[in-house]
Amino acid sequence: MNMRSLVALTIAALISYAALPASPGLAQSASEVFDGVITGYTTAGTGELQSFTMVNAKGQMLEFKVQAGAQTTAYGLENQAGDRWVSDQSKDPVEAVRRLRDHQERFAPVTVTARDGVALSVVEKEGGRLETNLGYLFAIYTVTWLAFFGYVFILSRRQRDLQREIARLKAAPASQNKK
Amino acid sequence: MLRTILSRNLFLAVTAGMTVLTLWMVFIWAPTETEQGNIYRSLFFHVPLAWVSMVSIVGVAVASLAYIRFKDIRLDRLAVAMAETGVVCGALMLLTGMMWARPVWETWWTGEAKLTTALIMFFIYVAYLMFRSYHPAGAQRQRIAAVIAVIGAVDSLIIYVAADLWQRAHPPIILGPAGGKDGAIASQFGLTLLVAVIAFTLLYAFVASERYRIRSAEDDVVELRRLADASEGERS
Repeated sequence: MNMRSLVALTIAALISYAALPASPGLAQSASEVFDGVITGYTTAGTGELQSFTMVNAKGQMLEFKVQAGAQTTAYGLENQAGDRWVSDQSKDPVEAVRRLRDHQERFAPVTVTARDGVALSVVEKEGGRLETNLGYLFAIYTVTWLAFFGYVFILSRRQRDLQREIARLKAAPASQNKK
Repeated sequence: MLRTILSRNLFLAVTAGMTVLTLWMVFIWAPTETEQGNIYRSLFFHVPLAWVSMVSIVGVAVASLAYIRFKDIRLDRLAVAMAETGVVCGALMLLTGMMWARPVWETWWTGEAKLTTALIMFFIYVAYLMFRSYHPAGAQRQRIAAVIAVIGAVDSLIIYVAADLWQRAHPPIILGPAGGKDGAIASQFGLTLLVAVIAFTLLYAFVASERYRIRSAEDDVVELRRLADASEGERS
């Protein structure tokens, strides 16, 4: 491993670190994430969920439609005992109503991922961990690159020492005589 | 010589480019996962590291067995290079997995099958390298080392299917021939993971190739010392 290799890999790592300080706003997702409490819902004549409303921590009322098909709305909602129900609008549109009503009655907060007013997923709110686990991400990132570059550095040192040793042995009269 | 340097530098440039692309996709392009938040981005390091460490031990086993059959010293060097690079990736796989599990599962470690078999693989790597270091060189060392590597290769296959065989907390298989049944992932996540796997595979290949060159140099030093000692003996 020569010096140029080390420099190239180090530059790659430094460039990547430049992206990290922007972590709170990290992803420019096409969809938006909302936390709040369910306040109401509408159903079709067949009892299938059509849309629901929720209020967020700022008191804003938000309305979301749900959809079936290829981009179906996904659900991951827990009951009071903590059992998680995982399904989607295509499979269980009626059960979705019951689950949302249960959350509305318990004032259980949910996290909704939505795009253009259509809910892509409705899941149990993750206790605020979404924002606070960045420290672990930073630690993982740092440990991975430190260990990796540490190993590369050890290899480069070992290679340099070996090249010196080979040059020394080749220069020694005994080796020259043999050749 | 010039051709070797050029191809090596080209390989390094492609690897560095893929690494930067991976980091951009992981931290900028891929959206935040709804349930886990940003910590899920660590899986774009953890899964590729698991992939290369599993593939590496299979490579070590194949190279070790091929060396016993063909007696080509280059195969032996390749086995050592892959084993040493693989143990680094294996250690990082365990560390990144633990640091992901702490906020998501609220524990550093559980005794479930996938984690236990991954830990066993790491110990097999360590056993392989320690055995090779301490046992005198010869046919017996090569045979026993190959057996250790083959056990590691079998273990890596068990790791791959462990989450489906013993369904516990670990996410199901999402990569490879058995992937995508229950664990299908959204296109942006899937594409980022694919690019990350390619980038880490290139990084692994680059570092392993450097380790291979060092192993060759180590053999050269041993040979030169032997010549020097022989010449010294003749003179005295």
